[in-house]
Amino acid sequence: MEATRVQPSFLERVMLNMRARPAAWIVIAMTLGFLVIIGIFAGPSQLINTIVTGGMWALMAVGLALVFGVMNIPHFAHGDSFMIGAYVAYFVFTPIQAYLRDNPNPFLSAVGPLIGWIAAALVGFVAGAVMEKLVFYPLRMRTRRGWVMNTFLLTVGISFVLVYGANLILGPNFRGVPNYWNVPPIVIGSVRLTMERIAAFVVAIVAIVAFWIFLSNTRTGRAIRAVAQDEMGAEMVGINLNFIYTLTFALATAMAALAGASLLFMFPAYPTVGLKPLYFAWYVVMLVGLGNVQGAIVGGFIVAVLQTLTQQFFGVSYEDVVPVVVMILVLLLVPNGIFGSEVKGIQEQ
Amino acid sequence: MSMERTVTQAERVSGGLWEGIKAVLARIGFSPLGVVAFIIIALLPLVPPFNQEHIMRWLVMGAFLGAQAVAFDFTAGYINVVNFGFAAILGVGAYTSAVLSNTLPILIVQPGLPPWLTIWIGALAAGLIGFLLGMLTLRLRGIFAAVMAWFVGIALMGLATNMPKLTRGSLGFAPPPLLNTTNNLPYYYVALGMLLLTYICLRLVTNSHMGLAFRAIGQNIDAARASGINPTRYRVINFTLSCVFAGLLGGFYAHYIGSLTPRTVMHTSKTVEVLALAYIGGRGSMWGGAAVAFPFVFFIEYLRSNLSQLPGLHMVIYGVLLIIVMIFYPGGAAQLYSTIARRIQRRAKGG
Amino acid sequence: MAALLEVEHINAGYGFLQVLWDVSLKVEKGEFVCLLGANGAGKTTTLRTIAGFLKPTAGDIRFEGQSIAKTPAYQISQMGISFVSESLNLFTNMSVRENLLLGAYRVLDKKKQLQALDFVYSLFPRLKERERQLAGTMSGGERKMLAIARGMMSMPKLLLVDEPSLGLAPQVVVTVFEALQTLRKEGVTILLVEQNVPSTLRITDRGYVMEQGKIVLEGPSKELMNNEHVRVAYMGI
Repeated sequence: MEATRVQPSFLERVMLNMRARPAAWIVIAMTLGFLVIIGIFAGPSQLINTIVTGGMWALMAVGLALVFGVMNIPHFAHGDSFMIGAYVAYFVFTPIQAYLRDNPNPFLSAVGPLIGWIAAALVGFVAGAVMEKLVFYPLRMRTRRGWVMNTFLLTVGISFVLVYGANLILGPNFRGVPNYWNVPPIVIGSVRLTMERIAAFVVAIVAIVAFWIFLSNTRTGRAIRAVAQDEMGAEMVGINLNFIYTLTFALATAMAALAGASLLFMFPAYPTVGLKPLYFAWYVVMLVGLGNVQGAIVGGFIVAVLQTLTQQFFGVSYEDVVPVVVMILVLLLVPNGIFGSEVKGIQEQ
Repeated sequence: MSMERTVTQAERVSGGLWEGIKAVLARIGFSPLGVVAFIIIALLPLVPPFNQEHIMRWLVMGAFLGAQAVAFDFTAGYINVVNFGFAAILGVGAYTSAVLSNTLPILIVQPGLPPWLTIWIGALAAGLIGFLLGMLTLRLRGIFAAVMAWFVGIALMGLATNMPKLTRGSLGFAPPPLLNTTNNLPYYYVALGMLLLTYICLRLVTNSHMGLAFRAIGQNIDAARASGINPTRYRVINFTLSCVFAGLLGGFYAHYIGSLTPRTVMHTSKTVEVLALAYIGGRGSMWGGAAVAFPFVFFIEYLRSNLSQLPGLHMVIYGVLLIIVMIFYPGGAAQLYSTIARRIQRRAKGG
Repeated sequence: MAALLEVEHINAGYGFLQVLWDVSLKVEKGEFVCLLGANGAGKTTTLRTIAGFLKPTAGDIRFEGQSIAKTPAYQISQMGISFVSESLNLFTNMSVRENLLLGAYRVLDKKKQLQALDFVYSLFPRLKERERQLAGTMSGGERKMLAIARGMMSMPKLLLVDEPSLGLAPQVVVTVFEALQTLRKEGVTILLVEQNVPSTLRITDRGYVMEQGKIVLEGPSKELMNNEHVRVAYMGI
């Protein structure tokens, strides 16, 4: 309705942040440089892989950053939301696949996977809301002393229940869908692009962009950011904190579940499948600064590049070792992360 | 007249002796009831249902887990830092000791030192890693420290997996046994001794002026800093001490269990097990975790052997209990005990 | 007819520390009422209790005849009471305009939101100039204005303002007080807490004086201005 924009755009915000933080500049420049190096030395298909993984880590990390920024919860069970998504996608998509085998239907075979993904996101949303109401809400009502540490331990408990619950009910077997679509990969020069890869990347980007627009331009999204900045102020303007908390947690869980669903072709569903995504999402969040949502988006790609480099130069088995060394160096230089921490409750130890 | 007098004096002397013993016991963190409980636990394997080898094995694991919970609670309950790399640090102790005492040609080194010596070297190595980790992370806020410890733990596990010449990676290897026996009973007393050693050493620290500083830091780090305590220094001391005992216990485990792989010792889920025990036992009590460890191990082993069609049920129960304790009863079993004890005392006085 | 806000015999405090002792006050519709007193007299606590951030341990608070003593703060805000706190509680990482739009969070009608925006911009033209600046980067006076403007965005029935003059240069205080006077002329009901007694009594209709958690004096501002006790204790005459 009005021509004036409500707030600086994403790019402007990034630029603003950049000016204040030379470290961020350097890291982004290095990341882009490394992307080029990967493209040249490891081949374009590695490059594509890196970008796809980056999108996924970003999607995971955004949820983690959001939950920490808005609710001050260091979410250790975020990977298990990924696991939930993977299982839901598997159990929704396999019957569709079986049905298609008997009665081919081009439309259904095109949108079938999407049904699985949407189901995963929805189930994730509901599961997140239930978790919040069942676990964090009672604690918040009882006391907010030592909140960060207590909620961290609570998420550890949740993770245990989810992982071993899945193990109990579904067993430790791998349930994967090697390909969602039976279409030949697109070949451009020496690069083979499978449909799954493209789709996973598109899903990550669409989800992140949609989420960003939601946060910056809608009434509810603005309320979420308001709660992240000043809880009392938010209450003063009439925002129901409990509603925002539940919504935030549900959204974060839904995003992780979506990531799990769209990566089912790479990570088959099994009880502890979430550990690695959790680890990398945390790595992103610590690297860019706790609670920093924009940072998490960029950070996802930074970490993916780092991961590919490690694989190229040290071997896959060092994937866990090299990032930690890098992280230690970074945190020694910039203790608040390269984009800075944006958390109200971090004063609490 | 004089008779009565001597009686009262004798009473006073014996009362004084009793008070003196109680004071000494309190200094090392035991109430009279605690001593009785410990003696009962120590004598348990001599009594029929418990003298079977497999049950004694559970007892060893109980003492081992309990000692871990004590060392874990020393940081978590006092300086309010969750050492999320606890299992990995324990693994450092285990691997150091195992490799140093190795005589088998499957590894590139066969130093062949006696395990009795190497577990102490392992403890020092774990302490050193803990010290470095503490120096690195304990300047930061608690949650950073916890997550960084987790990362470093994962990296250490990755290293252990990636050095096949030294550790045989995930294939694992068999360190020499600590004792020249296959019976569990001697191991049980070693484990119990370690539990006692860990508890008394750490309790002596917490009962000193340092313990006061730890508590102050754990409750409000800024207030502690304002009153002249250097939080980083005390946190590092605390963290290192806890890691030393973790390493010692790791060494014991390696030479007791007789097979070592990174996953079975250093995995995050091992940390979580200890963490759950410590918190269910009662944070900041130190004895709570050790006390619940025994019934827990029995309960878990019972589930494992009788409900083998439900694998990992005990883990789910761990998680649920941890959640319930964290939300509704943060004092854990230790608080439950003191509440009941107080009620009984009041009733006794009232009656 | 009942007054807009009726506070009846409330006790309140923080934990074991009771701050308010049997406090009663009343604000009629359209009135500009002030609550005066020294530091630590319990003025801020009174406002926080009315706004719902503290729950009274005894007594009742009624707004438009309805008890709000147990209502959560966000619902009280939705009922039409805006609270401008001493610490302002602005969203420092958001632009001025976003802060204002959040002030109208409970107004669902887009058109009304924009009307409110025009209204507060006409009240504080300075804010219009700084529309896109981040709230955290503004000066103290501008932030106070923004906080009051944010409180006005929902067109509240009652505006609670806590010590707007605190920490401001005298020149800026004048601007803020003028803005409050303008609001009053627009028909907004205001309950103002202040330590700056002379200038407050000059612009308000009625006043209460608090000492050690109790209301010790009340009356029309003109009378209070001539009251011996007020003159000696608060105006240094």
